[in-house]
Amino acid sequence: MSVLKPLDKLPALNTATGLLVGTEDALLQQLADSMLKEDCASELRVHLAKSLPLPSNVNRPRIDLIVFVINLHSKYSLQHVQESLRHVDASFFLGRVCFLSTGAGQEHHCSIHRNTVLKLAHTYRSPLLFCDLEVEDFRATMAQRLVRMLLVCAGHVPGVSALSLLSLLRSSETPPPEEL
Amino acid sequence: MEQLLQEQAAAESADSGEAGGAGGLLQVAGAQEARSDDRMTLLLRLRAQTKQQLLEYKSMIDANEEKTPEQIMQEKQIEAKIEDLENEIEEVKIALEMKNLTLARMQLSTALKKNLEKNNTMSSVLMDDMKHILKLNKLIMKSQQESWELEEKLLDVRKKRLQLKQASESKLLEIQTEKNKQKEDLDNVENSDKIKTMQQNLQKEIQITTVIQHVFQNLILGSKTNWAEDSALKETVLQLEKNLTMI
Repeated sequence: MSVLKPLDKLPALNTATGLLVGTEDALLQQLADSMLKEDCASELRVHLAKSLPLPSNVNRPRIDLIVFVINLHSKYSLQHVQESLRHVDASFFLGRVCFLSTGAGQEHHCSIHRNTVLKLAHTYRSPLLFCDLEVEDFRATMAQRLVRMLLVCAGHVPGVSALSLLSLLRSSETPPPEEL
Repeated sequence: MEQLLQEQAAAESADSGEAGGAGGLLQVAGAQEARSDDRMTLLLRLRAQTKQQLLEYKSMIDANEEKTPEQIMQEKQIEAKIEDLENEIEEVKIALEMKNLTLARMQLSTALKKNLEKNNTMSSVLMDDMKHILKLNKLIMKSQQESWELEEKLLDVRKKRLQLKQASESKLLEIQTEKNKQKEDLDNVENSDKIKTMQQNLQKEIQITTVIQHVFQNLILGSKTNWAEDSALKETVLQLEKNLTMI
């Protein structure tokens, strides 16, 4: 059972690698394309995975940022993500993990309550982003944000580390009182 | 990395060689300069990146040296501990920012001092700005003083009003008690026995007089004289009709 550990390999020069984990292949592909279209000085590589653990026979560079994509319309994606979370080392959650939930726009299709994802993100102390990945403009904006996060996590931005970005992204709202 | 450096050195020497040449070669030199600039920026960026990554690895090593407590704590305790640690991080960051600010301020003030020493101290724009600032500050202090005094006056007036209100309240209370006492006295007087006996006597006298009146009336009526003709008799009879209880 291989566990993803951050900083276990030496970084490649001027390269940042991100990993998108989620069950919706089309959405992940589109998001990865938007991310790669972004103009930035470093080389970007984006890996896509349906679930962890990743097959260990592939030689891959060290992963700087993991984005778990949860589709609020299907409970299956949430389950999958929760199972994959077990294969991630604890030190990854110091700023190199991000949760992205999509599909919050169509309220009547949502089978997962917003608070569930909020609680999940709160338990893992990681930032939670909301985005409707079907809409082109929102996807482009989210891709920009993710690329910036990826650059910070890869160490390409001097003076900002993944942990400091995490404390900057900490949301001021606590989970609703009925769940505490 | 070394290869890149060598290429860059070659480009620079080529530049200096061509700089003394014809003007047509100047454009090519410009393009090569741009490329070497790009290489410089790339190198500097890579340097910054490797520095940052080295810092991250070092901090990971330092963090791993700390032993995590093995005791099994409840989830709430763990959450509380995590929040404490996060707050610690925040405080350290804030302290760092404050120190940076103070350092920048100190640097600014020394630079300012040196600038002032160099230039003519009376005519620079800086001096004008500082004089303006001093003027404004004096104005601010004056207006603050004035507003403080006005507030004091307002406070005094309010105190006086309160005192007056309290005095009037006590006076009204006195008036009320006096009135109540008067009413009590009146009631007492009304209910005293002397008044009662006097009232009883009055009633008896009225009854006696009424009886006497009726007797005289019946006397005159019984004498069967025509009392309506004589005016004096008429007056007497009518007077006897008067109901004495209504006087």
